[in-house]
Amino acid sequence: MTPEPAGRAPTRHRAPLGAEVARDLLYLGHQARFLEAGVRNLARSEGLQPGLADFRMDPRSTVLARAMRCTTDGRGDVCHPGPLAPGPALAFGATPLEFLRHLAGKGTSPASAREGGTSWTDLRRGMIGWGGTRGGTATQVLAGAALAFRHRGEDRTALVFERRAALQSGGWHEGMNLAGAVRAPLIVVLAASRTGDPSRHVDIETVAASYGVAWVRLGPEPPEELFQTVAAARRRAVRGEGPTLIELARLRREDRWSPHDEFAARAASSAGFSEHDLDAIRRAAAAGVEHAVARIEKEPGPPPGDALAPVCTDGPPPPPWTRREPPAPDTPAPDDPAERPHAE
Amino acid sequence: MPNETPAHVARTRSGEPATFLEAIAEALWEEMERDERVFLMGEDIGAYGGAFKVTRGFLERFGPSRVVDTPISEGGFTGAAAGAAHMGLRPVVEMQFMDFISPAYDVLTNYIATSLYRGAGPMPLVVRGPVGGGNRGGPFHSQNVEMAFFHTPGLKIVYPSNPRDAKGLLKSAIRDENPVIFEEHKGLYRAPHCREVLPAEDYAIPLGRARTALEGDDLTIVAYGLMVHRSLEAAAELARDGIRAEVIDLRTLLPMDDEAIAESLRKTGKLLVVHEDTRTGGIAGEIAIRMNELAFEWLDGPILRVTAIDSPVPFSGELEDYFLPGVRDVVTAARYLVEY
Repeated sequence: MTPEPAGRAPTRHRAPLGAEVARDLLYLGHQARFLEAGVRNLARSEGLQPGLADFRMDPRSTVLARAMRCTTDGRGDVCHPGPLAPGPALAFGATPLEFLRHLAGKGTSPASAREGGTSWTDLRRGMIGWGGTRGGTATQVLAGAALAFRHRGEDRTALVFERRAALQSGGWHEGMNLAGAVRAPLIVVLAASRTGDPSRHVDIETVAASYGVAWVRLGPEPPEELFQTVAAARRRAVRGEGPTLIELARLRREDRWSPHDEFAARAASSAGFSEHDLDAIRRAAAAGVEHAVARIEKEPGPPPGDALAPVCTDGPPPPPWTRREPPAPDTPAPDDPAERPHAE
Repeated sequence: MPNETPAHVARTRSGEPATFLEAIAEALWEEMERDERVFLMGEDIGAYGGAFKVTRGFLERFGPSRVVDTPISEGGFTGAAAGAAHMGLRPVVEMQFMDFISPAYDVLTNYIATSLYRGAGPMPLVVRGPVGGGNRGGPFHSQNVEMAFFHTPGLKIVYPSNPRDAKGLLKSAIRDENPVIFEEHKGLYRAPHCREVLPAEDYAIPLGRARTALEGDDLTIVAYGLMVHRSLEAAAELARDGIRAEVIDLRTLLPMDDEAIAESLRKTGKLLVVHEDTRTGGIAGEIAIRMNELAFEWLDGPILRVTAIDSPVPFSGELEDYFLPGVRDVVTAARYLVEY
């Protein structure tokens, strides 16, 4: 438990959280749990792709992300929710309805249905995400964001979630090496992989040491400890002490929500909430998800022409001439060669 | 920090002719002075001044936060440039040799090029570096990389042929809101015949506009980069036989100035495309189909191409000279076309 590089992050304690943070963590935990059920139900009713019928959240992701400085003015911390989306996205202010719209590819989605997956980019909220990320690209990109913060002397930090399988990718190591070399204010969370992982025997503490960054391993710790571990890593980053690598140990599926439930159970005493307060928080989270689930099935997909969006800021590409409005009968097509002045 | 400006970025201020390399350095220097969001990343660009010394003196003037020496990891630092661009900076990434851009192909094509379309916002960054053969660099230090990226919507590709254009186009690339790949032919960097006095004013040349390097009416030769010079040499030889070739310098490959090519073709009726890149999947094929769509009825002969051979760039001088397209190839193809 030392703040030095390659050691554990400096703080692992369970001091009570303030009421505002405790309320947020309770709300986000409930929201994530209801959203997990909502996605599964939608997948089973064909409102979403069937592969999502086994959709699982990691409740710890909302807690870890909430420990960052989340703002909506584009001046706070940034986060790549990655494989743990939407948990971190919820902490950064995304709504369940936005998430479902994005997941379902609705025209109202944050990416106008031109991207899907589970996370998207919203720079005002500090979210940098995309589907289809490969090989540690997120760590590279977020290291660059962190570099920009340091470049401008800003009190900002970048948080990136990857799966442990990123260890197999050279890209991840490039990003980590760069972040370590320039002591970028970056926190990297490596979650356990869901499928077979040839890198499962790699000692992440040793990896962290090789890049000169701090390391900490988190498992089923209570939300207070998760929160304060990231908060401490963030303070280190802002002080210019470099990145922290957080290894997130696998939780048994049936145990995933236990820390949240225990936290809720003791919130009355530790944060001073009444039973009525706790119930109100839970009901508010449920209502938001129920509203999103009910609405998503009624929303149409985007009009096909929306595919012609700008790929450069100069404007969208031209549509194929075969898809334009056909000319009226007996009227030459505007680009008919026979109408050109030099045609013979 | 010293106030003295290094000589190689002050040619224009002192009224001296600048080489192609010095024009690049001037553009970078002036843009960094003009806009504090502009910063450089690359291997050995700081203390060492870059493999070709383009950024010599930059570290002393702008400091390590704006002249970032990176690890040897093109994918890693190009990805980091994307993150910095998201945060409002305007990174200029140097590839020590553009051959080494391939490790960054993933992040360039999958992440950077798709950013705006995905709703993740514009991605103002430049990836620049030396390309091209003729320096006996062999397979790994001589490639032209444009067509590896030409097929990717969301990118722009610039490939200048002379110092004036290099400076003006690089300034536009840095000011552009989109990712730009900027290719600099090594054979032009210090070529004595390329030195020229650059305009004293702060000028930028718009991306996407070709220029007519030589007017003529017997055939159109379209080229870019070093091949503009080869084409002009060929045109001079053809002129001795009374053949007037028009030479179009594309300057920007993506977006391409189709209308400039078509306009010339409407005048000459014959089209020859010259590029140093290899033949199959080269830009000549794309130009041919575009002119087929735009100006088919003006064609008085087949569209021909002069290119490198479909092989890796060989190391030996004898082999490389045979591999690369030369003036003789251009003259031969042009004569054939004119007589067609």
